[in-house]
Amino acid sequence: MSTVTTPPRATAPAPGAPGTQAAPARRLRWLLRLHRPALCVWTVLVVVLAALLLWLGGPLTDASAAAWNQYDACPTTGACGYDQEAILLYKDVSLYTSLTVLTLPFLVAMWAGASLIGRELESGTARLAWTQGVSPTRWLTAKLALPAALVTVGTALAALLNRLAWTAGLGRVDTAKPWYSIETFYASGPVVVAVALAGLAAGTLLGLLLRRSLAALVGSVCATAALWAGIFMALPHLWPTVTRVSSLREGPSGSGIGVAEGLLTADGDRLGIPRYCGSSIDPSCGALFDRLDAVSFYRDYHPASHYWPLQFVASGILLAVAVLLTVLTFRVLRHRTADHRGGLA
Amino acid sequence: MTDTAIAAAALGKRFGRRGAWALRDCAFRLPAGRVCAVVGPNGAGKSTLLALAAGLLAQTEGTVTVLGTTPGRARARVGFVGQDKPLYPQLTVAQTLDMGADLNPGRWDQPTAERIVAGGSLNPRSRIRSLSGGQRTRVALALALGKRPELLLLDEPMADLDPLARHELMGVLMADAAEHGTTIVMSSHVVAELEDSCDHLLLVGDGRVRLAGDIDELLAAHTRVAVPADTDLAPHTVVESRTAGRQLSALIRPAGPLPGDWRAGGRLSLEELVLAHLRNPQAPALTPSGLEGKAA
Repeated sequence: MSTVTTPPRATAPAPGAPGTQAAPARRLRWLLRLHRPALCVWTVLVVVLAALLLWLGGPLTDASAAAWNQYDACPTTGACGYDQEAILLYKDVSLYTSLTVLTLPFLVAMWAGASLIGRELESGTARLAWTQGVSPTRWLTAKLALPAALVTVGTALAALLNRLAWTAGLGRVDTAKPWYSIETFYASGPVVVAVALAGLAAGTLLGLLLRRSLAALVGSVCATAALWAGIFMALPHLWPTVTRVSSLREGPSGSGIGVAEGLLTADGDRLGIPRYCGSSIDPSCGALFDRLDAVSFYRDYHPASHYWPLQFVASGILLAVAVLLTVLTFRVLRHRTADHRGGLA
Repeated sequence: MTDTAIAAAALGKRFGRRGAWALRDCAFRLPAGRVCAVVGPNGAGKSTLLALAAGLLAQTEGTVTVLGTTPGRARARVGFVGQDKPLYPQLTVAQTLDMGADLNPGRWDQPTAERIVAGGSLNPRSRIRSLSGGQRTRVALALALGKRPELLLLDEPMADLDPLARHELMGVLMADAAEHGTTIVMSSHVVAELEDSCDHLLLVGDGRVRLAGDIDELLAAHTRVAVPADTDLAPHTVVESRTAGRQLSALIRPAGPLPGDWRAGGRLSLEELVLAHLRNPQAPALTPSGLEGKAA
C-alpha cells in the first residue's frame, strides 16, 4: 500500500453562506438539473449528426466520386462494373442528414413550447420558481438564454458541416443536389439557425399563452411549419432578380431559384408561355410565337452568386421575427404577473 | 421596516377581459408579526388574494402593498406555498433544497429546511414524483421556510397532511413565527383548523372581504342575544336573526350598551361567527382595521 497523503481539498463554500457571489452560476445549476434529459438528447443528436456529416463529406464523397469516375469511364455499350452501392449510400445519407437538419427547428420549438414553458405553467412549477426569489422576468431570461445559445451552436455546427459535405461533392458526385435545392439551400446555411431560434421564441410564446404542454406542442409544430413555409415562399423576393434573355429556339434558361419566366415580344411586353411550347424547335410552336410577336424567352431568377445575400436577408428577417416574438413573450409575462408594477401604490 | 405586512385598497382581480371578478373591492390591513387565517368557502377568492400578494398575478384594479413595497419587489422576502404544492417531479428532495439555496443566495437557511424535511423521515435521494401528497407538502414548506421569509403565504397548507404531521408542522410554523416574527397568512375552508393558531382573521366570501381584524376584537364586537320576537334590534347591526316561536335569537354587532333584559348568549366561537357571516351575505362587512391607522 502506498502512503496515505492528505489530498489538497478544495474549500467548498458553506451552503447558504450569506452574500454568495456565484449567483448566476448557481442559477445555472438549477436550470441544467431541470433540463438535463433535453440537454443530453440535444448533445447526442448534434454529435451523431455531425459525425454522419463528416463521414458524408469525407469517405462517402470520395467513394461516390470514385464510383462516378468508374461509371463515366464505362463504354457506351456492353457491361461495366462500378460501385453502385457507394453512389446509393452517399445519396441516402446525404438526403437523410439534410432532412434531419431541416427537422431541428421543429424539435427545438416543440421542446420549448411543451417542456421548457408549457409544462411549468401547467403543473404550477413556474410559480414555485417565481416565489423562490426568481422574478418571472429573470426566470424567462434564464429559460431563453441558455437554450438559445445551445440551439445556435448545435444548428450552426450541423449547417456548417452540411455545407462542407456539399462543397466536397461539388463537381465530383453527379447526383449531388444543386445549390438551390431545398436540402442544400435551407439545410446548410444561416437560415436554418434563424428558423430554429424563431421556433424557440414561438414555442416559448405559445407555451406561455396556452399554458398546456400538449397544446403548446401542437401549436409549436404548426408555428415552425408556418415559419418554414413563409420563408420558402418569401425567399425568391428577398433580393433583386437577374433576368436572362434567351432565344426562342434555346428555351428559357438560367439555373437557380426561378421567380418568373415567359416570352418577350418585340415591344418588350412580357407574355406567359403557351402550353407545351418551350422552344421553337417544334414548328407549330414557332408559328405560334410568330403570331404572338414573341422574339425571345426571358427568365427572372437568382443565380448562384445570390446565395449569400438571400441567406443573410432571410436570416435577418427570421431573427427579427424571433426578437419580436421574444419581446411579446416578455410583455405577456409581465402583464400577467406583478412584475411590471414598479412604483409604490 | 414596516409594521404592515399586507395592505390592500380597492383591490380587484378579474380573469379575462369579460370574466367574472374573482376578487373585488378588497380593503384590509394586516399588521406585521400576526398569524392570519384567510377563511371562506371554496371559490371565494382566497387563492387569488394570496397569489396577488405573492406577486404571481397582476391585479386588475386597486393596489396591494406587501412589506411596504410592491409584491414584485417584495418577492425575495415572501414565502409562498400554493394549494397544489408544485415541485419539480424529476428532482430529488436534496436537489429541491439545493434549488432553494441556489435561487435564494444570501437568505437560505439550510438547517431549517433540512430539519423540516427530516421530520418526515424522507430520504433526501427520493425523487419528488415518488412522494405522497403529505410528503410533498413537507418539502414545499421546507422550501418556503428555508428562504427565511418575513411574510409566509400558505394556501390550504395542511389539506393533505395526516393529523400528526399537521400538528407537528403547525408547531414548526408557530415556532418560526415566534422566533423570527414571521407574519403568516394561511387560508383554509376548515375554520377549526386555524382557530387555535391564528390571531387575525380575514373572511372572504363571494370575492369580497367580509370580516377583517384581530380575532379577539372581532369576537368582542359581536354578541349573540335572545329576545322576545317583537323586539326592535335597531340601532345594532344584525348579522343573523332567527325567530323560533316567540323568541328571536340573533347575532348582532352592538352599537352601544345592550338593554339589561336582553339575554346574551355565552362565549361566541370563531366558527359560529364565520358561519353566521357566510350564511348571511347581506350582512355588512366589518373591517375595523381596514385602512385606518398607519396603512402604507
